[in-house]
Amino acid sequence: MRFATDTGRGLLRLWAGALLVGAGSAAFAQLHSGSYSATKADSLEQTVSAPPSTDGNYSVSPFPSVAPKLAEGEGRAETESFCTMCHSTRYITMQPPLPPATWEAEVNKMTKTFGAPIPEATAKKITSYLQSHYTAENHKQ
Amino acid sequence: MKPWRRSVSRRDALKLLSAAGSGLAIGKWFGTDAAVAQEMPASKPIESFTGPGPNPHWNSVGPYVNEPQKAPLILLTDRPVQLETPRSYFRTAFTQNDAFYVRWHLPGIPNRVDLAEWKLRIEGNVNKPIALSLTELMDKLKPVSLAAVNQCSGNSRSRFQPRVPGGQWGNGAMGNAIWTGVRLRELLDAAGVKAASVGVQFQGLETGPGPKGSGSNVFLKSLELSDPVLDEAVVAYLMNGEPLPMLNGFPVRLVVPGYFATYWMKCLTWIRVLSVPDENFWMKTGYRVPDTPRGNTTPEAMKAGGVKTVPITRMPVRSFLVSPDVGSKVPAGMSLTLRGIAFSGYGKIVKVEISEDGAKSWREAQLNEDHGPYSFRTWEAKWAPKTAGNYTVAVRATDEKGNMQPDEPVWNAGGYLWNRIEKQEFVVGRAD
Repeated sequence: MRFATDTGRGLLRLWAGALLVGAGSAAFAQLHSGSYSATKADSLEQTVSAPPSTDGNYSVSPFPSVAPKLAEGEGRAETESFCTMCHSTRYITMQPPLPPATWEAEVNKMTKTFGAPIPEATAKKITSYLQSHYTAENHKQ
Repeated sequence: MKPWRRSVSRRDALKLLSAAGSGLAIGKWFGTDAAVAQEMPASKPIESFTGPGPNPHWNSVGPYVNEPQKAPLILLTDRPVQLETPRSYFRTAFTQNDAFYVRWHLPGIPNRVDLAEWKLRIEGNVNKPIALSLTELMDKLKPVSLAAVNQCSGNSRSRFQPRVPGGQWGNGAMGNAIWTGVRLRELLDAAGVKAASVGVQFQGLETGPGPKGSGSNVFLKSLELSDPVLDEAVVAYLMNGEPLPMLNGFPVRLVVPGYFATYWMKCLTWIRVLSVPDENFWMKTGYRVPDTPRGNTTPEAMKAGGVKTVPITRMPVRSFLVSPDVGSKVPAGMSLTLRGIAFSGYGKIVKVEISEDGAKSWREAQLNEDHGPYSFRTWEAKWAPKTAGNYTVAVRATDEKGNMQPDEPVWNAGGYLWNRIEKQEFVVGRAD
């Protein structure tokens, strides 16, 4: 099973290459997954897919990747690099304003429960960034 | 053209001709248009997020996005993909495939599956592990069909107070389809479940880059072997008579009637009989609810600790007003038809009631065709507001087990099991 991502950063590729050993990963050489392509938000243009072949392959185009704009500030670069190893930063901008303790718990969940390889000092910086821009006191429309 | 129209237009033409000389009347005409324009309601972009109060909208607030094989749907997240179905698609009992909501946990979502090598495997604590191609699934086993609602555990999470982190769904993380496939029990029997087995684990083609053994590497769910729902579960290769869209689980997905969608494994590929309880993240930590009535607790109780939790299972009874939508201002004296849907994971809907006064007094709505106990059931009710004013219409459903929707909110840390009575404000205007 190949892990491919068009938006992936070097770090993501490295980590994915080292650790992606999901059960049964050798079972399907033709399985292709996790392909995303950059697009703009509100992408309501009509799309058309290439004509399919008559063999056993069933495929879809890359899933559109729509990066949101994160608030400017100290820690944004780290947030964009490390969080996107597994998910887009839309996971951040979609949330309601959350208390600082909740943001700390979220970052801890990513590192401790989900095993995201984020150095401790960087994780602290990401937490502080989220607490500075995405709580009820400071998150603006 | 009717005579009066012709005469009016001739009169207007004459006015214009005579006005052309002075130029004054022309200015007046343009001036009138500008005044009309000012009276038009301005539309503005929806919020980019909601909170800290509850999301006031029926759906979530993301932009529309075109994903492969899908109609434009509301984007929650793009990687992994989470899409919400807009309200108007719920006017019918069955939700069309291209509008059906999408929820993945990990970024490794299949873009391509080769059916020349794909096989559904039944393995683990069985007498004879088996692997079946899609052709074998379709030809060798008896096909069955049933209507069943698939609803995300976190549907309506954006209603929670205080808000909880997670996918901020409005009401559109649900859909109903006719699922056709083979009975899970037949597959288990073919492989022969060994004595002393305790559960059945399901794995699809969804993967993530996380370390092996963690929840970010693979999505796994299981059901206890003693759960009677195993007899009702179907491995479906058709959704509303069509192949499943890739984002909804092509080539086959598990259908667990009455249960939340977390068990409905997409791109199902491994069915694994377990000899020990499943301790993986998605069972032991994720998708759990307090072991209390309605799964209800408080942030304080959670902070204090000791709230016992159990895996989420069946969907509590719910009902929705689908049309008219909130955008419609209603002229007083008009006889309207309110329409919507209702369902329950505990059995068929036996009653839907509507209220015109914000859930104070109730009257029964008409139930439409019964497509089975786990399907959406559409309902309708006449409503003729006589005078202009603001009205709060509410809807509540009761299932065959006697479960009726309450008017109290629910709270738990996961943002699960929301089923409070839905209410909608209507503005009724004068008709003269």
